[in-house]
Amino acid sequence: MLYFTLASKAYARNLQYRGAHMVHNIASAMFGFMYACIWLGLGADYALGDYGTQGMVGYIAFTQAALWVSSFVTNGLGIPQAVRTGHISLDLMRPVHLFSHLMAKEWGQIAYQFVYKSIPIYLVYYFAFSLQLPGKAVTFLYVAIALAGAAYLSICINYLIGASALWTTESSWLYWGNHAMINLLAGFFIPIEWLPGWLQTIAWWSPYPYLLYVPTRIYLGFDDVSYLWGTLLWCVLLTLTCLLATGFLRRKVEVQGG
Amino acid sequence: MTTRSWLSLYALLIRTSIKSRMQYKFNFILASFLAALIQISEFLMVAIVLFKFGAIQGWSMHEIGYLFAVMTLSKTLYRTFADEVHHLEHYLVNGELDQLLTRPMPVLLALMPQKFRIMLGEVLQGGFLLWWSLHGMMAAGQVGWSAVPQSLYIIVTGAVILFSIGLATATFGFWTTRITELQNLTEDAARTAAQYPLTLYPKWMSSILLIVVPVGLVNYIPSLYILRGELGVWVLPALAGVALLCLCLSLKFWHFGLTKYQSTGS
Repeated sequence: MLYFTLASKAYARNLQYRGAHMVHNIASAMFGFMYACIWLGLGADYALGDYGTQGMVGYIAFTQAALWVSSFVTNGLGIPQAVRTGHISLDLMRPVHLFSHLMAKEWGQIAYQFVYKSIPIYLVYYFAFSLQLPGKAVTFLYVAIALAGAAYLSICINYLIGASALWTTESSWLYWGNHAMINLLAGFFIPIEWLPGWLQTIAWWSPYPYLLYVPTRIYLGFDDVSYLWGTLLWCVLLTLTCLLATGFLRRKVEVQGG
Repeated sequence: MTTRSWLSLYALLIRTSIKSRMQYKFNFILASFLAALIQISEFLMVAIVLFKFGAIQGWSMHEIGYLFAVMTLSKTLYRTFADEVHHLEHYLVNGELDQLLTRPMPVLLALMPQKFRIMLGEVLQGGFLLWWSLHGMMAAGQVGWSAVPQSLYIIVTGAVILFSIGLATATFGFWTTRITELQNLTEDAARTAAQYPLTLYPKWMSSILLIVVPVGLVNYIPSLYILRGELGVWVLPALAGVALLCLCLSLKFWHFGLTKYQSTGS
């Protein structure tokens, strides 16, 4: 119940900024539009593999919308800010585990972003590029599982980034580094099978493909449901890492000021 | 005070800024390493597309590499000296601009050297790519040696244009306080768009990238002349004129914006 309240409060807090977020959606939609234009330009001269031009536009549209679930979560789940203000000491004293506490809040944030960012942005592309929805209802179920897994992975990764703020003042660079890896290894702009061999190997040894590529492939109707086992595996691995990191950070806390 | 003493003051502030960063060596190394990683991944995104498909809309691999290199180097020049203009939101939200306002010098001059960034990774990467693309085009006889000074020249005019765009965007913060979203559009999205030939985009969009947020003038328009001999030699002096115009307009806007500044508290 506590966790649900934390999540719903995070959701409600964001509702206050609905207007500003809608304006921001225009900027986000522009980004995707630009990427789609690049693929349309390339599609005019080359065949685009399994996807075809229209398929690639659909690919970009879905990844751009899914970014708000599996990539744009709060920087370090707010831990770097808490370290800077000294608030982290209070957070660690609470009778709730730091990880589950911050995660509950982030789920509220992600739920909000799904409703007010992912869906409106996808709708814009849906009409602008005359996209098609998946034919089978079960696809939606698999996509929902893949996206929920991706959101969870993203929460874990950002928790670890946040935890690093206890040891370095430059944790925001890790956040941007993580974004760069998402751009490259999660199939954000280029599907993973088009990366050079060595980069594909790196990608598949990391959790990144499960953030965007896997949900997108499932959504587009490629038979990739078995990838969901990979999502599950990474969820387990990263959960353990997060719990381990919490153990470490509890040993010695240095705050940066007040 | 004379211009000379302003400049020496500016240099002193930059030296202090570098010294203060070097107090935290681990952080400096970590930040530099990650910045290089980000830069490489950005470059790979373009490089992979080029190696997979070769030319895009009649622009060869070397030509697109050149567009990317010029944009990277111009941005590096702008961000090396004026990174804090891009991070003005931080000063607005925390009320830290108040401190700068009380200093006996122009606010912009106090703001810019707050954090001098050493962007070695970007310089190396942009420089290598520029060399690679120019070398390739020289070997093919597409351009001559004159392309080298011309390229350096457009990197400087490009940096001035990017700085003007950044400054004008930041100025909106005096009304809206939060500017990240706007920067996303005018700086990040626009710059990313101009890494490819503008002919890829619909007419309305390329017009915006040339007139409203003129990132196309940083690399695309000069490349038409330098690499392909289109337009004419008048492009080069015209660019300096446009860059100067952009700078004057954004400075005017900045000074106007400053008069509307309201502190947000601590």
